[in-house]
Amino acid sequence: MSADTLQKQAGPSERNGAVRAASRFFAENGALGGLVILVVALSLMSGSFLTVTNLLNVGVQAAVTAILAFGVTFVITTAGIDLSVGAVAALSAVVCAWSATSEGLPWPLALVVALGVGILCGLVNGALITYGKLPPFIATLAMQGVARGLALVISQGSPIALPNSISHLGDTISSYLPVPVIVMVAMGLVTAFVLARTYSGRAMYAIGGNEEAARLSGIKVTRQKLITYALAGGFAAVAGIVLASRLASATPEAASGYELDAIAAVVIGGASLSGGKGTAFGTFVGALILAMLRNGLNLLSVSSFWQQVVIGVVIALAVLLDTLRRRSTN
Amino acid sequence: MTETSEARGEILRVNGLRKTFPGVVALDGVDFDLRPGEVHVLLGENGAGKSTLIKMLSGAYQPDDGRIMVDDRETSIRSAQDAQRLGIATIYQEFNLVPQLTVAENLFLGRPPKRFGLVDKRRMTADARELLDRVGVDADPGQQIGTLGIARMQMVEIAKALSLDARVLIMDEPTAVLTTTEVEKLFAIVRQLRDQGVSIVFITHHLEEIPQIGDRVTVLRDGKSVAEVPADTPQEELVRLMVGRSIEQQYPRERSSQGPPLLEVRGLTRRGVFENVSFEVHAGEVVGIAGLVGAGRTEVARAIFGADGYDQGNVLVEGARLRGGDVHAAMEAGLGLVPEDRKGQGLVLGADVQENLGLVTLGRASHGGLVDRAGQRKRAAGIAERLNVRMSGLRQEVRTLSGGNQQKVVIGKWLLADAKVLILDEPTRGIDVGAKVEIYQLVNSLTASGHAVLMISSDLPEVLGMSDRVLVMARGRLAGELDAAEATQDSVMALAVAGVESGTAHDTVGGSNVR
Amino acid sequence: MHFTKSAAILAVGTALTVGLAGCNSGSSSASGSSGDIKIGLSVSTLNNPYFVQFRNGAQAEAKKEGVSLTVTDASNDSSQQVNQVQNFTSQAMKAIILNPVDSDAAAPAVTAASRANIPVIAADRGVNKATVDETIASDNVTGGKLAAQELAKELGGKGTIVVLQGTAGTSAANDRGKGFTEGIAAYPNIKVVAQQPADFDRTKGLDVMTNLLQSHPGITGVFAENDEMALGAIKALGAKAGTTIKIVGFDGEVDGIKAVQAGTLNATVAQQPALLGQLAVQAAVKAAKGTKLAATVSVPVKLATKDNASQFATS
Repeated sequence: MSADTLQKQAGPSERNGAVRAASRFFAENGALGGLVILVVALSLMSGSFLTVTNLLNVGVQAAVTAILAFGVTFVITTAGIDLSVGAVAALSAVVCAWSATSEGLPWPLALVVALGVGILCGLVNGALITYGKLPPFIATLAMQGVARGLALVISQGSPIALPNSISHLGDTISSYLPVPVIVMVAMGLVTAFVLARTYSGRAMYAIGGNEEAARLSGIKVTRQKLITYALAGGFAAVAGIVLASRLASATPEAASGYELDAIAAVVIGGASLSGGKGTAFGTFVGALILAMLRNGLNLLSVSSFWQQVVIGVVIALAVLLDTLRRRSTN
Repeated sequence: MTETSEARGEILRVNGLRKTFPGVVALDGVDFDLRPGEVHVLLGENGAGKSTLIKMLSGAYQPDDGRIMVDDRETSIRSAQDAQRLGIATIYQEFNLVPQLTVAENLFLGRPPKRFGLVDKRRMTADARELLDRVGVDADPGQQIGTLGIARMQMVEIAKALSLDARVLIMDEPTAVLTTTEVEKLFAIVRQLRDQGVSIVFITHHLEEIPQIGDRVTVLRDGKSVAEVPADTPQEELVRLMVGRSIEQQYPRERSSQGPPLLEVRGLTRRGVFENVSFEVHAGEVVGIAGLVGAGRTEVARAIFGADGYDQGNVLVEGARLRGGDVHAAMEAGLGLVPEDRKGQGLVLGADVQENLGLVTLGRASHGGLVDRAGQRKRAAGIAERLNVRMSGLRQEVRTLSGGNQQKVVIGKWLLADAKVLILDEPTRGIDVGAKVEIYQLVNSLTASGHAVLMISSDLPEVLGMSDRVLVMARGRLAGELDAAEATQDSVMALAVAGVESGTAHDTVGGSNVR
Repeated sequence: MHFTKSAAILAVGTALTVGLAGCNSGSSSASGSSGDIKIGLSVSTLNNPYFVQFRNGAQAEAKKEGVSLTVTDASNDSSQQVNQVQNFTSQAMKAIILNPVDSDAAAPAVTAASRANIPVIAADRGVNKATVDETIASDNVTGGKLAAQELAKELGGKGTIVVLQGTAGTSAANDRGKGFTEGIAAYPNIKVVAQQPADFDRTKGLDVMTNLLQSHPGITGVFAENDEMALGAIKALGAKAGTTIKIVGFDGEVDGIKAVQAGTLNATVAQQPALLGQLAVQAAVKAAKGTKLAATVSVPVKLATKDNASQFATS
């Protein structure tokens, strides 16, 4: 086929190109298509859905899951799994509140300590997986128990109030800029940047795609895995602080089960549990789908028993759509 | 163009078969026919369309255009069940056997003989023995498949195909994994089946096998059937048809002047695997390592590169000692390894060409943790062009490249890293003639520029043709060293089996080409 | 060689962890000198302030009576709880207090104890399909009714309200919801416009309340089936909480009482978990001494409002 015929085909209808570009964009971002469908459906069904305030609410409600999921994206990209992020988030939040109140640390220091706890938990995960050769599932399951337990030990089982300075993180600036949304977007940009531009990010894809090939190409797999799990732990800490600041208190049993939401968001976003695939944008869309779904079910007053059914079905559908799409393009 | 024979007595015929995948035309008009009781060889470079064709005949793919006729009736093969009903069986390189089950259970997988609703074990064993006898394989029906070894597993696959009343048997590179004697045995069975009226489609890269086993040859090139010739066509002519041009010399080694030793291996030992291995590789030199499969060649190469550890000995690169078991240090020192298992160890199959080419240099292209993506892209584009990697673009997934082009990508990542000593482990296994020569020329240009190459190969003509010196390993030790100019296949084999004869004499000749 | 080394590490590690944990929980078993009477208490979960208070009440009473009380935490896992009760029977406990994770799944545990002739007292939740010697529980249905009456009083008998439901399928959610529905039916001018689950969770209470405000901006009242969700709703309502929108919670947990005192929560139906624990231990001691018990004992629920909140604040 010559270039000439190609031009002739494209020539008459310029719009064709735009349509094709759009359809290619959706083909490459399957989850986004699902999000658009969801927005349209909910707008038609509920008059109160498509308002600025409500959409901001969805953003705020997606924030914690999204931040956790960004961290999990790193791990899943390396073909790992992290079941501890929910518990680590709770532990970090409790440590933050406890050090700022009972221990009287200045609030910036308390935030740093909380972040440090998250990263430390991640490093322990990484060390168990690399040096201890534990399967990631087991190592992070153990960490889930340890972190949740420590959160209970430190808090004595009761919620700890956060000082005002920190709980401002859950506020809304000038009534239209919720801080959790800002933090979520910032963490999303960090994730995208790390994955696309940094040595560690590229190494994650290589390790997830073929660990042995990565190792034989001189990539320090052990060190990169440590970094990966530490990032997941750090992100979990941020999520925990955002969660606690929204409530102005840190609860030891907060964010339980959130790791599964996070994993679902990552997978809905197009990542593969077998590794080598995953993007920050996809994960973001995945978290939005989950939050939007819960929001819509509330607006539509769906019965509590049915809500769980609907959420389960939508998760399965989203991933199914994505696999079907991939199969057809391959 | 294809000389179509008259449509008489044909069991299978395809006309004008076309198949496109996104971005690739896999088949672009293939004609092919098969008569009862003949062995029809399919010949072509990797990526010429052989696998696509056989996948259509076995129901894995549907053609976009063209006709498939079985017994002079047009038919469509939509699934493996369709193929089975038509009597078409395919034996792939990866066997369809369950290693944990017994031979008999595998033979009757999914359709065991039953009695009162229960599996009739006695009849299954008896039937299995009969089938095994028919292909002349010495195996106990109650034995676990996993314990059989590749050659006998292949025989079981053939027996399984026969039990399904296959009239057409498609064999995808059956000899690639077999030793000389095993190949002889396979040929005997193929001839026997042919005489019983079974038609066989036989795929091989080994041209010398064609006159031994084939009746006719169909040559595919770039998705088209370009010729149908008798099996006794001279090899040069077959190569010309496959590649589309004549290849002057199969092993174009040009010796370079030798420099100082770049790689020194001293007394390298891993207990039970290899012992006291010492040698040097000089700048500008190609050192080949020959030996039987299991002689420890790959293990030594991996130990040198730090992929595995060792118990004793030293590895020196340009006189400096290398820390054992540290791939990163080996890479920094200037070593590179192109592993034997290309897909499992050499490539990130799901990533694109650019990503794979930039894997080794990722660290070097990073400053403060940030990767210079533009630079990586530019360098990848440069090396892909230099290596003549055939692809739709740098963003193509390497999974979809042909074997030869995949291998070029693996080599390319080390060229980008400017590895001083490149260790090539079976660099041309499963690669077609054209790409092989390109890789040989690359080896020449590497040594000409003062690099060194350590090449492990089970392909004896290749070792002899491309090396300056040949080291022969036997049972984990260096059995001897030969100057390539004086070495012959016989002298290499004599060393390779030395010391083996006393032990468990296994005639696994590492060379699939040693025939 | 390698095996013995790792086994040693494992053993030392386990010993250390258990020892450490033991130090902290040592106080939980008050080894009374007069205590020939050993009582086992299996708590459904200590991952909840309510049950922590329940345990504290039980421990205080055990100390007072001079009996030995062993507390285990079933971590909301029914099968774990069965194991714990079985262990109690082999430890020759004189009585067992069971705070069931699940009313149905607790039956095998009770049967195991009855077979060993050990009396069982069910606390906070009943046991179905097996006979216990006494069931001590807060009256959740009555509590729900109390909440409805209080909310109606705050609203002056008219308004539109929403209900934040607990985890679907739990007895607490069912009973409180049932009591509230019955209670609110007496006020025809109060309309329940939405009932949505927030799983007894504070964050979810915040999210669900935020969402409901979008679809029902004009509401004037909220009933939350526990204080955690009420506290989340207060966050969502901001300055309206307790003023233009009235809120009633349930449980009377520490943070809930604080909110009542602060005026953001109009009222909460206070359970008395410490009292529950105390009564349970008293019943267990009686049973151990062979005294016959009443089949059911209701621990009264009390409404905590701004006026009387201080008396709950101490617990």
